[in-house]
Amino acid sequence: MRRRVSAVAFAVAAVVPLVPLLGGCGIRETDVIEAGGPASVQAFFDREYEMLLFFRSSDGGLSPVIRTTRPSAGFGGEYDEPGSGDQNAGDENAGDQNSGDAAGLVPTEKVVLALLAGPRETDRAAGLGTALPKARPGATVKVGPSSAGRITTRVPLALKGLNSTALRQLTCTIAYSQDPDGQVVVELTGQDGATRSGTCGLARGTTG
Amino acid sequence: MSSGRGGGGGRGGGGGDRARVRAFGLRTRLLLAFLLVAAVSAGTTAALTYREARNSLLETAQDTAVTSFRDHVQQTGFSLPVQEEGLEEVLRDIARKGKPHPWVVFAEYGSLRASSGENPVSTVITPELRRAARAKPHGSFERVVKDGVPYLTIAMPTVFKASPDSLLPSGLVLYAVMRMTDEQVNVDALLMAGRDGALPGLAVSLIPGLIAARSVLRPVRKLREAARNMGSGRLDTRIPVRGSDELADLAHTFNESAGQLECSVRELREAEERARRFASDVSHELRTPLAGMLAVTEVLDEDADGLDADTARAVRLVSAETGKLAVLVEDLMEISRFDARAAELNADEVDVAEAIRKTLDNRHWTDDRIRTELPDGIRARLDPRRFDVVIANLVGNALRHGGAPVTVRLRTEARSPGPPVLITDVADSGPGIRPEALPHIFDRFYKADAARTRSAGSGLGLAITLENVKLHGGTIHAGNRPGGGAVFAVEIPLHSEDAEGEGAGG
Repeated sequence: MRRRVSAVAFAVAAVVPLVPLLGGCGIRETDVIEAGGPASVQAFFDREYEMLLFFRSSDGGLSPVIRTTRPSAGFGGEYDEPGSGDQNAGDENAGDQNSGDAAGLVPTEKVVLALLAGPRETDRAAGLGTALPKARPGATVKVGPSSAGRITTRVPLALKGLNSTALRQLTCTIAYSQDPDGQVVVELTGQDGATRSGTCGLARGTTG
Repeated sequence: MSSGRGGGGGRGGGGGDRARVRAFGLRTRLLLAFLLVAAVSAGTTAALTYREARNSLLETAQDTAVTSFRDHVQQTGFSLPVQEEGLEEVLRDIARKGKPHPWVVFAEYGSLRASSGENPVSTVITPELRRAARAKPHGSFERVVKDGVPYLTIAMPTVFKASPDSLLPSGLVLYAVMRMTDEQVNVDALLMAGRDGALPGLAVSLIPGLIAARSVLRPVRKLREAARNMGSGRLDTRIPVRGSDELADLAHTFNESAGQLECSVRELREAEERARRFASDVSHELRTPLAGMLAVTEVLDEDADGLDADTARAVRLVSAETGKLAVLVEDLMEISRFDARAAELNADEVDVAEAIRKTLDNRHWTDDRIRTELPDGIRARLDPRRFDVVIANLVGNALRHGGAPVTVRLRTEARSPGPPVLITDVADSGPGIRPEALPHIFDRFYKADAARTRSAGSGLGLAITLENVKLHGGTIHAGNRPGGGAVFAVEIPLHSEDAEGEGAGG
């Protein structure tokens, strides 16, 4: 009797390991599996007369937007080109030797003012917005000389009331305006005298 | 003898039936073990092969799909911000180039949702995939089974060049959803192939299993037959030894043991035969001088009256003892005939009551010491001489050791299994047989009464009676009646044809 039982137990023990092997027939679900890098698409960004603005996406992250400075390419671009800012930026960038050769073709002051002017119709249609308050008309942006990978910028805003998304919008926009790779430490000074400094850190997507 | 052999054969036949019906016999166990081993090996091989083949099939399809999706997306240009108009056109363009199968392309940008299909948002793409695509700019895929249909969903976040060596995530994520119908068909085909391969394998494995079981069972069967043959007396039975395995060893040992057994049995038989022949020869040799002595003692007996008293007593004693010796020798010869199986039954149909009456008359037991209850008309096939010896021995014994009156009773009795029996009871009115003597009462030279070592009988009377009853196929029992006195019951079967004949005659 005992031998019979042990024989049955042996048979069961021999067959049981087969069950997981036979199980999972057909195609099963998987977890999310990483497979290679992202797709690099053509965005036709030309630093010479286009600028990169960072708006807030509907999911809370930052979305880069390319905006041209040419009047012919854009529509309704009349209010983001204050003459005074333009000249200031031109003077500043002409004297800057540390920037890359392609950098600064569109003055940073102009870029920041465009950012502060907020998203346009096309941006809003894609669900983009901004966390920054709208700048008063006639406000000026002062960009200090950049040295050793640092740039100081005075913005016509009170920095204290801004959230992190707003600060990152400013930081990234200024960084990518100054450096093609965005590897610049940006020091912001607000109208209220508060200062914030940081890097963009968006390259290769650490959109945290 | 013949009935004993028949019984043995019947028992053997029963054993064979049991062996054939046995559910967990050697054959079944061997077959099951073979099947199990074959199932485990075939199943494991098939399952592992299937898994590997399926995985490589799926991986190839997935890698092809992910790579080609990335390639097609990379050949596309987008303006930033992505604009809704024209987006579906671009997606449809990518969808047309789907490889290895057509796919549906979905785009998600900010709050924009577009697709190359009818619904702008897919129901197959899981939140996990969306989260992974948003969290890290890596291509990723997930297999999803929805309503039994397997889908491959690929998420492809896009980046663009902010400078020649700097990439920025654009915020646009493209998804491709591909039905894996062909892959499912292929995987199912693999599964079928595995099963169709494993099942015939199992069936084929039955053949070596059967052969192995046969190679083990055949020697076992031969061994059983040989053992049965030896049990029924054929000691010269041997098994052919084939090969050099354990079963051959067993057969070899069996043959050796059988040889030794045969040898010792032969020796025993020869010794027994010698002893029997010796007793027979001795009695034969004694008979001739005894015959002469008997003649002389008769003459002496007649002349004893003329001798003086002491001599006459001595002569009479010699005469009486010589007579006893003659009876003893006759009995010994009778017994040795039984031992040599030379005793023959000369059966004849007789009236049993008549035969008993004749026996009593011949011995002059006709006075009131003998009472008889002999119903007429009972006929049986008996050897009249041997039946006479049986009755005479029993009645003589009762008169000698028991006490008068002795009752001889004859009757027949029906037995439910087997033929009816003829029963002859011989009862005396003596003190009966001591209980400790009962088992030995039919032994040769056994004296029930230890005090009377020199009795009138030879000491072989009951032994000869027993042999005679046995020769008739009957039995004899000795016992004590409740009221005192010994009783001997002889049962002899009335054979069915005789019973019928008797019924017709009566």
